[in-house]
Amino acid sequence: MSESVIIASHLSKVVRSSEAELTILDNVSLSIERGSSVAIVGASGSGKSTLLSLLAGLDLPTTGEVILAGQPLGKLDEDQRAALRAQHVGFVFQSFQLLASLTALENVMLPLELHDRKDARERATQLLDRVGLGQRTTHYPSQLSGGEQQRVAIARAFASEPDILFADEPTGNLDAGTGQRITDLLFQLNQEQGATLVMVTHDQRLAERCESALHLEAGRLLEPVA
Amino acid sequence: MSGRSLPLATRLLAREWRAGELRVLIFALVIAVLVSTAISFFTDRLQRGMVSRAAEFLGADMVVSSRAPLPEAFLQQAVQLGLNHTHLVEFASVTASENEMQLSSIKAAGPGYPLRGQVRISDELFGAERVPDGIPPPGEVWIEPRLLTILDLEPGDTLEVGYSNLRIAALLTHEPDRAGDFYSLNPRVLMNLADLEATRVIQPGSRERYRLLLSGSEGAQSAFRQWVTPRLEANQRLTTVGDDNQRIGSALDRASQFLGIASIAAVVLAGVAVALSASRFATRHFDTSALLRSMGASRRRVMSIFTIQLAVIGLFATLIGLALGWLMQWGLVAVLRDLLPPNLPGVGLKPLLVGAATGFIGLAGFALPPLLRLGQVAPLRVLRRDLAPLPSSGWLIYGLAFAALTILMWQFTGNLQITLAVVFGGAAAALLLGLLAWLLLRVIGQRLRHASLAWRLGTGQLLKQPTVAAGQVLAFGLIMMSMVVILILRTELLDAWQAQLPDDAPNHFAMNILPDEEQAFRAKLDEIGAVAAPLYPITPGRLTEINGEPVRELVTKETQAERAINRDLSLTWSADLPPDNRLRDGQWWDQLPPDDAPRVSIEAELADNLGVELGDVLTFVIAGMVIETPVVSIREVEWDNFTPNFFMIFSPGTLAEVPTTLLTSFSLPTEQREDLRDLVRAFPAMTLLEVEAILQQIRDILSQVTLAVEYVLIFVLLAGFTVLFASLQATLDTRRYEGALLRTLGARKSLLRQANRLEFALLGALSGLLAIAAAELITLLLYRFALDLEWSPHWLLWLLVPLAGALLIGIAGALGTRAVVNQSPMRLINQGN
Repeated sequence: MSESVIIASHLSKVVRSSEAELTILDNVSLSIERGSSVAIVGASGSGKSTLLSLLAGLDLPTTGEVILAGQPLGKLDEDQRAALRAQHVGFVFQSFQLLASLTALENVMLPLELHDRKDARERATQLLDRVGLGQRTTHYPSQLSGGEQQRVAIARAFASEPDILFADEPTGNLDAGTGQRITDLLFQLNQEQGATLVMVTHDQRLAERCESALHLEAGRLLEPVA
Repeated sequence: MSGRSLPLATRLLAREWRAGELRVLIFALVIAVLVSTAISFFTDRLQRGMVSRAAEFLGADMVVSSRAPLPEAFLQQAVQLGLNHTHLVEFASVTASENEMQLSSIKAAGPGYPLRGQVRISDELFGAERVPDGIPPPGEVWIEPRLLTILDLEPGDTLEVGYSNLRIAALLTHEPDRAGDFYSLNPRVLMNLADLEATRVIQPGSRERYRLLLSGSEGAQSAFRQWVTPRLEANQRLTTVGDDNQRIGSALDRASQFLGIASIAAVVLAGVAVALSASRFATRHFDTSALLRSMGASRRRVMSIFTIQLAVIGLFATLIGLALGWLMQWGLVAVLRDLLPPNLPGVGLKPLLVGAATGFIGLAGFALPPLLRLGQVAPLRVLRRDLAPLPSSGWLIYGLAFAALTILMWQFTGNLQITLAVVFGGAAAALLLGLLAWLLLRVIGQRLRHASLAWRLGTGQLLKQPTVAAGQVLAFGLIMMSMVVILILRTELLDAWQAQLPDDAPNHFAMNILPDEEQAFRAKLDEIGAVAAPLYPITPGRLTEINGEPVRELVTKETQAERAINRDLSLTWSADLPPDNRLRDGQWWDQLPPDDAPRVSIEAELADNLGVELGDVLTFVIAGMVIETPVVSIREVEWDNFTPNFFMIFSPGTLAEVPTTLLTSFSLPTEQREDLRDLVRAFPAMTLLEVEAILQQIRDILSQVTLAVEYVLIFVLLAGFTVLFASLQATLDTRRYEGALLRTLGARKSLLRQANRLEFALLGALSGLLAIAAAELITLLLYRFALDLEWSPHWLLWLLVPLAGALLIGIAGALGTRAVVNQSPMRLINQGN
């Protein structure tokens, strides 16, 4: 019996604007098992990214509770949640989020340096090699193509050996061919490291490569966890 | 935590430095520190230079004087402290030739006199001057040329002083410390102190003055001052540079106030630069902050990383700025070498501290609020880039900046009054005009709804975020304001000095003109082309009682009043209020009901010292007559205008019974000195006093001060422009990005260029308007409360400054956004990410 690494119960997110209340997520419950891969799919505005941000502890729900790696997020303050992320979580973003002032290698080293890892440089170099950018370590993001930037971002996400990898539309800014190669790389690395993958996407084919999928529509979960 | 963050923070910083991220912030800080260090260094040295120049008027750095011989302990202390020293004894005594006698002012000087400045002598009447080597040798004297005429002597003849016969070796044309004793009328004699005893003129009861002249390092001076001040008895007095001479004192005061204000301007410039670039630093690091947080760094860790980074930047920039500032002031001093006083005092440590304090207080006051924003970046920003942290509270931002500015300015000027005038004047003006700028932008926006696209795009940038635009207007406005204030001050200080000593300022005083010679004397002056002040009748008289009480009992301290009542006053009468006199209280004769009884008008400072008020009755003894008269007006007098000035002016007719002579001053070009010989021959009874040397001395000092003021102005202007362009850089990021977007949407280059020019020109014009308005308010306050100058509006500048602003910022902005027009939009958008 495998254990759940993420459990969400009765999550709701309501945003108050000056005129009305907008319910972005409405009573979502789910649980994700360690080592599995889960796609969160749905149309634009269905609440996918909001759900991801709640599961990763980047934001707090209006009601409901998330338990991430055994820790109830609602009971932690921002810095405790940060510490939890530092220990267990990695991210890959649609817009890569590389720091423009750092080289490819330095971007990958960053999470390792945050952990004061002495072998930051060696490990980052290995990871860049692994994603096929061993020759581009000293290049700045602006000197890399979109696909290359995302590969740097993936190397960075796996650098700190996270238990859970959150990916937000990782191929959203890339062409089909490049997107395919990025996806292959992502699943490969995920398998090698035995991490849990939670991926937001509106790409049906990408979703099908995951072991299960959660369908969101207007903030509600359509199907139970498969 | 911060210990753990240190290596990471510095590593990240080094990487950003390599990527060119930090240039603008470091540049702004370096400029800030550089400017304040260099100005501080320069003004420090100049001030000390000017003080040493002014010391010539004392003949020393400091003088202890007394009616009785000074205690030996004073001299011992001075020797112990390593001060140079010499003695003077001054007294009035009759000097004589075989046939004539004349009461003279005699100075017996010890070796080394003067410690500061020079004595000048000539070998014949109106002959060429030269600087002698030391004082007259024993047995010889140098005498003022007019004594030669009065006693009918020739150089080389013998002058009787008491029981001694001394050979007249040269004519005394200039004593550096003469200016302080300007109104003493006796001809002057300089003799060797060693001859004094033999003359036997110093007897119990004779009224001589003993002076101990001292010079040396500032430390020794201040140590001596501290030592001697509590030991001074009632009849002993310590005089230091500037104490004794109103003309030089006020010029020096104003000059150092100007330099102080220039430093304030530099601080404002620095502050604006640091604030803008720190805010840019923060904005560009929102993503870094969000990313570090999403990777699990705590808020404290993120904050400590950025704080360490800013501190390292501050340290680095401060060190560079200090070094450059130090080099720069050496450069300035080298360039001005011929014009600055010789032996310019060395560099003190204080400017370095001031520069360093500017860097750090500036960084803390102006960079902390944007830095705090960095700590508030939500980690969610990694998913939603539009999430910017809430701006810090306005109170925090402006309160901190305000406090930092005030502290820095106070430290710079050491003058709370000026600091408050500038800070509050500036703040009030900024608040008012920030509001005005915002309103103006709104009105322009409404008016331009149907204007061409370039106009709408240009103004749209500003109107979209009126508070941001108002902030930029404020920043550029402050920079220009600093420059305008210094420009205005410099022009008007120079005018004031020029007016104080015009080229035709009277350089001669003529006394003892007999009343029946008046017409002939006027005619002779006309003939030689001299420009004269009115002729005033003069009679010596003594003030004896105030409201029936003896004056001696009313005056205890050694004040101007003591000096005024301890000798005969020169009394006069006049129907008209003399030029440069201003009534403070009461009324002039012509506004009072006619009355034959005597009335008097008294000089304000003397009145205050004596405690005399309107209506008090003064008793004078004049030529054996006792005259009682009520005070009907109190006048303020410009003592430094080189025309005859009087403590007491009587109503016409009051002194009709008293024998008088006439006094006037006139101006005669130095080339025409030969004509004086005629004048002296034509009026043998007249006493002619040349003050050209004193005038020249004052002019020299003023011209040096002027030069210094000019250089400081240029310095502030250059710094202003540099900071302006650096600050502009800090606001260009979003503009470049949006310009690139517009081009992607198909905007032509020419449209973008036009929109950019319009936007920056408008920004510049508004900033200029703010600058001149604030500058007017600040100069008004400064003139009123600190500089004691008349203020009037500068209408021309209201036109010129906004125009200059539009032009300058228009051009600079267009240059800065050139990349938008010429580079690939895609590349810019990628960089903007």
